[in-house]
Amino acid sequence: MGRTRKRFVALATSAVVAASLAACGGDGGSSSNDGVGNQEGQEVTEATKGGSITYLQSSVTEHLDPQRVYVGRDISNLGRLVYRSWVQFPSGTTDATEGTTPIADLATDTGTANEDATEWQFTLKDGPVWQDGEPITCEDFAYGVSRTFATDVITGGPNYIIGYLDVPTADDGSSQYKGPYTGEGQELFDQAVSCDGNTITYKFKKPWPDFPLAIASLRAFDPVREDQDKGDRSDLVPFSSGPYMLDGEWDEDSGGTFVRNPEWDGEEDTNRQANFDDITFEVGVEPETIIERLIADQGEDTTAIAAQNITSAQYNQITGDVAERAVNIQSPFTNYLVPNFNRIEDVKVRQALALATNRAAYIGALGGELASTPAQTIVSPDVPGHQPLDTFGSPEGGDVEGAKALLEEAGVETPYPITLTYPIGSASSENAFALLKETYDEAGFDVTLDGLDPSGPYYETIQKPDSDSDLIWGGWGADWPSISTVLPPLFDSRLNLTANSNGQDYGNYDSDEANALIDEALAETDLDAANELWGQLDQLLADDVAYIPLDTTNFYYLRGSGIENYVNSVSTSGYPDLGVIAVAEDAQ
Amino acid sequence: MSATTQSGPAPRQAGTSEPLLVVEDLKVHFPTSDGVVKAVDGLSYSVERGKTLGIVGESGSGKSVSSSAIMGLFHGSNAQLGGQIRVDGTDVLQLSEKEMRGLRGREVSMIFQDPLSALHPYYTVGAQIVEAYRVHHDVSKKVARKRAIEMLDRVGIPQPDQRVDSYPHQFSGGMRQRAMIAMGLVNDPSLLIADEPTTALDVTVQAQILDLLQDLQREFNSAVIIITHDLGVVAEMTDDTLVMYAGRGVEYGPTKEILTHPEMPYTWGLLSSVPDVVGDTSAKLIPIPGNPPSLLNAPSGCAFHPRCTHRDKVPGDLCTTTLPELVPGNRSMGHLKRCHLADPEAIYQTEILPEIAPDLVDEER
Amino acid sequence: MFAYALRRLFSGALLLVVMSMVTFLLFYASSSTPERYACGQKCTAQQLEQTKAALGYDEPITTQWAKFAKGVVAGREFPDDEALREAAPELVTQCEAPCLGYSTGYGETVRDLISDRLPVSVSLALVAFALWIIIGVLLGVMAALFKGRVLDRGIVALSLIAFAFPTFFVGQIFLTYVSIRWGLVDTPRYSPIAEAGPWAWLTGLMLPAITLALVYMAGYIRITRAFVLETQTEDYIRTARAKGLPQRTVIGKHTLRAVLTPLVTLSGLDLAGLLGGAIITESIFNFNGVGKLSVTAIARFDLPLIVGIVLLVAAIVIAANIIVDMLYAVIDPRVRLG
Repeated sequence: MGRTRKRFVALATSAVVAASLAACGGDGGSSSNDGVGNQEGQEVTEATKGGSITYLQSSVTEHLDPQRVYVGRDISNLGRLVYRSWVQFPSGTTDATEGTTPIADLATDTGTANEDATEWQFTLKDGPVWQDGEPITCEDFAYGVSRTFATDVITGGPNYIIGYLDVPTADDGSSQYKGPYTGEGQELFDQAVSCDGNTITYKFKKPWPDFPLAIASLRAFDPVREDQDKGDRSDLVPFSSGPYMLDGEWDEDSGGTFVRNPEWDGEEDTNRQANFDDITFEVGVEPETIIERLIADQGEDTTAIAAQNITSAQYNQITGDVAERAVNIQSPFTNYLVPNFNRIEDVKVRQALALATNRAAYIGALGGELASTPAQTIVSPDVPGHQPLDTFGSPEGGDVEGAKALLEEAGVETPYPITLTYPIGSASSENAFALLKETYDEAGFDVTLDGLDPSGPYYETIQKPDSDSDLIWGGWGADWPSISTVLPPLFDSRLNLTANSNGQDYGNYDSDEANALIDEALAETDLDAANELWGQLDQLLADDVAYIPLDTTNFYYLRGSGIENYVNSVSTSGYPDLGVIAVAEDAQ
Repeated sequence: MSATTQSGPAPRQAGTSEPLLVVEDLKVHFPTSDGVVKAVDGLSYSVERGKTLGIVGESGSGKSVSSSAIMGLFHGSNAQLGGQIRVDGTDVLQLSEKEMRGLRGREVSMIFQDPLSALHPYYTVGAQIVEAYRVHHDVSKKVARKRAIEMLDRVGIPQPDQRVDSYPHQFSGGMRQRAMIAMGLVNDPSLLIADEPTTALDVTVQAQILDLLQDLQREFNSAVIIITHDLGVVAEMTDDTLVMYAGRGVEYGPTKEILTHPEMPYTWGLLSSVPDVVGDTSAKLIPIPGNPPSLLNAPSGCAFHPRCTHRDKVPGDLCTTTLPELVPGNRSMGHLKRCHLADPEAIYQTEILPEIAPDLVDEER
Repeated sequence: MFAYALRRLFSGALLLVVMSMVTFLLFYASSSTPERYACGQKCTAQQLEQTKAALGYDEPITTQWAKFAKGVVAGREFPDDEALREAAPELVTQCEAPCLGYSTGYGETVRDLISDRLPVSVSLALVAFALWIIIGVLLGVMAALFKGRVLDRGIVALSLIAFAFPTFFVGQIFLTYVSIRWGLVDTPRYSPIAEAGPWAWLTGLMLPAITLALVYMAGYIRITRAFVLETQTEDYIRTARAKGLPQRTVIGKHTLRAVLTPLVTLSGLDLAGLLGGAIITESIFNFNGVGKLSVTAIARFDLPLIVGIVLLVAAIVIAANIIVDMLYAVIDPRVRLG
């Protein structure tokens, strides 16, 4: 997932990340704790209509513009409240397969691809309208994606479409289409995205077999009506096609309220239950305060929810009645370390590092099993094709003897000096890295901890190809439930390595074999066959020790007692699913 | 003369009625964390209506403290007071704060050394005089203001009806002291204490202020105490003089007597320290060696003994062990001194005078 | 006095110009990467450059400052790219003089952002100010009058305790216990006085205002106490007593009048510092004032916003200095402005 978002959040919260990107919810249960509710108990029942919900938020929602929003929480919420698209994920499901399988939304079906998945077609339903009653058109969809090309106005959002769409590139590598505002290269875009009546055709320059997953997971492909688009000025002015619409203004620092959209009838859009009457986002509340308020469960807070992790200091307050209102599930975020291939060339030394990585101690410092779960692959458990790899050692890790043996085999002088570069955050994350160092040192390394400020020098340092870091911390979450949004962005050297920067490939991993597997997997239109190839790639990365998995962060959320139908759906990336949530009758 | 161990009679206790101010065995002690500071220790003197007493001494000799005690300014502080201060027969030390307030500024008023700091910088001169008047007289502001202007006029401030609205900083040093005097006299006090009234002023202005004080004293027939370290002021202004050292009176008597026939080495020292501008240039300025003693831990015996150059003329270690009494000396019953020297007059005439005023000696020969 | 104020205002304006330059310089001297923030994730090196250009951070610092200065004098239009403005007039945001710039992070002009947030900070500062001045001075005078006694010791101890607890701790405790756990007051929130009325305005502000006032109050107790004790040793206080004035006049009139002068100076500047936002208190209670805005501005490397807030705070402080100096002249007749 996006590190840029993550690092700002990391300032305010612990190592746990609150705001995330699309795709993937917890598969539930695996990390649940006695006395704490988990996803398995969550099911959708006959819901009560009406009532008001308060959504307590610590970090701000910076973008409400569909082409600019890139924070998982906001993507999920906006998709349930105001923005409809061609396809969507079914609401209220905790089943990993069902929750990651797109269903039709504004399209008549889930789309049709040509044989090599370079051309996709969707046909618009007849009937859906904008909040002013005007019908949604095919052109609105074309206009929506065209905005992403205006990189000088529409900043911050996912830009996959620029890489895929069959629009020629200029000499400097940028697209020859500059977006709808200047209109430069408009005809090139119009050839790539065309409307024929109610049917749209996207033409790609390379196969995109899981394009519908991307549509359902992000908001970047949602329609935008041209006459409502004022560029940056409409960033916080959502024009709704969904069951709710913004009431008044959205203040970035304090939030806003969404009320029912009278033009949305719910006749054909049955996936969004739209149970509550309105929802108010209260933004900027300190994380501890959010949890305190939810624990106290007073007044309006009885119908409050939050995508905010309970801090480890507050764990002991989650007992009795409060525990029944808590849920602990796996998030889509995986944390890992990468060895710097420019500095540690001997694979045996990297293997020794992998074996000596003490995941148990690391997680213990972060707050234990409620905070996170050991990971044996960088691919989050919720992404189809996830396969834990023994190559990285046991889930707990910390195999000192094994690591010692490998170092001896490698014939290197011990203690072997290692600089571990990580972003400074909370006291508990500092502790976690100190514990990692302890076990590494026992195994024959001599670790220097190099904590850097994630809002400044951290990324500057690790992205330098000639950095002095030997071992570097990273965090990731898939943009949509596919390994294609995990391994290629991180380990495809052709995407990442340039003279001055290693992009997201902080370890400067450069393998022709891996690149070839990536090409093969991306071109595979059968998603199961593709996952087979991704599995081979992950094993290759593990054998090379291109990365060392650490843990998968947990979501440990609390809600008010007046909330019903509360589900941390897979389809909403584990965030509270606003498509099914309701307010209990006695709390209205 | 042999030193007597009895306390001498209070000086100038002539007549049947008591003088306006009688101070008897006054003690002002300040307890501090380091011990008790005996700022004034067993001081006695008296002033009659229409007369002027000069109190002379170095800084820290207790001269200002004793006058503050008369004003009752130690009320509510941690100072320990002993003895008696009788103003017109009333012992002010026994008065309540409220009764004392009625006396303060009305019966007894005070003029301070530095008029700039003694006047409130944020209030007009007039307002401060009005306030002093109205606190003792139940009159309207208008009447009080008229009185203030009248007083300013009386002390020689030009255009008093305008200057009444000026702030202290807008006055010159002399004018400020005049205003201060006007404030001191606005209630016709029977006793006026002037604490170094001219020290902070230009020399030329000093004489004017002193003249003014003398005129006013005659006019109001007040008793006046002038606290000063300037023997010139003493000579010109006072009837009696009290020399203080280390919280005690060391020589007390008619001013003329004290200045011409001093019997205490400390007084000699004071006289030797005064430059005589009209006198002989061969006259020497002889400073008193050493520093005033700490009142926290005063020297044993005669407090002056560490600085006294005539100690060897006293038999034995009397000076260091026994505190001499303030008793009449050889010349008259009204001239008291606190010294063990048997014949101070002789020493003065033969040793001191030739040094400080050779021309005087010549004349006498 | 008018000429004096005019002269001071002029030099204050000059100072603001210099400060804006210094802020620009410091911003570029630090490792600020606004484009990285704006570009978001999956940002390639090429996109990073594009974003930098789109935000205008690629231009020479002198050009950027010149544009800023022109905006202040004559106003500006955003986005900065003229061709884009012509091609798509619907994108244009007018920013009239004095234009402090446009925050890309918020998508609003800096002036609108600040004028939205300023009432929150000003309300908070004023209520806190009233609290700490009234209570602080009162307790300070009482402590001085009862110097060395139980009351004095109690008040001094109280002020020490209040001083020792950091604001973030006190604020969090107030919020967690008084408001959330015990439910004694509603969750503090800002309600504009014009819309919600003075009562809702005041009650919503009370908890954060007390939080903010506590530490200042502690300081003012001690300062007032010291000033009173010092003033009581002044000759003119002795004169006042020697006049036979009752104690309450000596204290209430002569002493307090003198203590007022340094207090006015101090409190004026303290208040000015708070008008520009109380960062910690605003963050804890989630009050969207200038203080919280400045945190965001710095976290996002939002240069126009940073410059805007720096200039606002500086302007407030400069104005407060001028006002305090003029007040000084009113209070103290010895001071003449010229």
